[in-house]
Amino acid sequence: MTTTEVPKGRTVTLGDVPGDLRVGKNARIEVSGRLTVAGVARFDGNAEVRGDLTCRALEADDGTVRIAGSVHATESVRAHDATIEVEGGFRSVHVDVDRGLSIRGPAEAEEFEVGGYLDGRSTLTAAKVSVGGKFRLAGKLTARAVDAGGSVDVGEVEVDSLDAGGLIRLGGGTVKNGVKVGGRFVARGPLSFGSLDAGGTADLQAGGKGGSIDVGGVLSVGGDLTFSTLDVGGLGSIHGDATGESFDVGGKFDVGGALRVTRSVDVGGFMSVGGDLAGESLDVGGMLSARSGIFTGTARVGGHIRTHAGLKASRLVLRAKARASGPLIGGTVELEHRARAEEVYGESVELGDRAEANRVVAKRVRVGRGASVSEVLYSESADVDPEAHLSAPPRRVDPLPPFPL
Amino acid sequence: MPSGPDGANGTSRRREVSDLYATVLEVVKHYHGAARITRVSYGAGMPVDRLRNFVERLLALGLLKSEELDGRPAYDITARGQEYLDSYWKLRGYLEGLERGPSDERPSRRR
Repeated sequence: MTTTEVPKGRTVTLGDVPGDLRVGKNARIEVSGRLTVAGVARFDGNAEVRGDLTCRALEADDGTVRIAGSVHATESVRAHDATIEVEGGFRSVHVDVDRGLSIRGPAEAEEFEVGGYLDGRSTLTAAKVSVGGKFRLAGKLTARAVDAGGSVDVGEVEVDSLDAGGLIRLGGGTVKNGVKVGGRFVARGPLSFGSLDAGGTADLQAGGKGGSIDVGGVLSVGGDLTFSTLDVGGLGSIHGDATGESFDVGGKFDVGGALRVTRSVDVGGFMSVGGDLAGESLDVGGMLSARSGIFTGTARVGGHIRTHAGLKASRLVLRAKARASGPLIGGTVELEHRARAEEVYGESVELGDRAEANRVVAKRVRVGRGASVSEVLYSESADVDPEAHLSAPPRRVDPLPPFPL
Repeated sequence: MPSGPDGANGTSRRREVSDLYATVLEVVKHYHGAARITRVSYGAGMPVDRLRNFVERLLALGLLKSEELDGRPAYDITARGQEYLDSYWKLRGYLEGLERGPSDERPSRRR
């Protein structure tokens, strides 16, 4: 196969090139119609092509190759110690660039492998995108797997998986499987995702819908959030409603709307819910406030729970020295040693030693040694320790007054 | 390069040494055991001679390991290096939350 050579530093005009093309350093090619190279177009250093380029393979070495038009390389594009800048569209199969690749028009390839940066001003479609440093794209990204050692900053996405070491910032869209980022994740528009794992912070500015969420530091959600499991180690807030399977917060968390889960709510730190809270089980080690809480299973409070309308559960345990503000409603309600509550309602209510309540209303009531209650209403039995402190003797009423919630 | 320099509000802050170590580790990790010094240099946005100093230090601390691949050294992150990254990003997350201040983390909608 013949090779057409462009000597270094020269400017030539080319159209169809039957074999390979070899372009010397600092050469410039004016294009007659379209530069079509049947074989390999190889650039040895800085070079410029003043039009569209079609070839089997594009190879660049040690420099910057600027193409003023589009690039269509039917097999591959490879750049060793080089940067490629394309002013038009870009189409190839395998792309392997050491330094940087910038594309102004729509880009499409089976695989993009870039060591430094990949910068697209339009859309990009690929099976796989792998970038060592920064990947930036103004338009829509459609891909199966996207992986960057540094950052990914793109528009709307339709991808299977997204993985970056430092930062992922996107316009919104769909990540079918998982998003994984070492540092910071930001979605400016609504996002649908399989899972979200952020080591540092996650910011879903327009809300989201997805599977598991695991954030080591801070989670901020601008709208509503739907999830399967949510685990936040540090701080967080959800502006709207939150719906999922389980919710686990280690630090401080605020939900502006309602929080509804099908399984557990676990609060190790401080949590406030502006609306209603509902689930199967609740475990509060720190402090929780909500408009109301309704749980079909067990609710355990080790710290402080504050509700306006009440906390209701099949079994409700206020652990030793725990405190409840707002009515507690069972099932069974147990106030352990020195626990304090206001109004307590249940089928069965038991106050441990030195526990305190203002009012107890239940079918069966048991008041332990040193416990204090202002008023006890019961319908079946009242077992009061002689050393308990009651403001008035227990009063039997049938039927009992209606319970809250 | 990784977003270590990005501040809480998206503005850039000066990269500190801890940021640079994290940057290098993330780029090395990206190559799954086949990280060449030149590729890491492009990814981290750091000249090769400066990068070599960082890599030597990370090797000495056991955060990176090196193996011959086709007769040339290739680098990979160690479990200890991953531990560094986990701690680094978590701390950065907390600091970002603290820098935002209490008014920024409280949702405005209440029912």
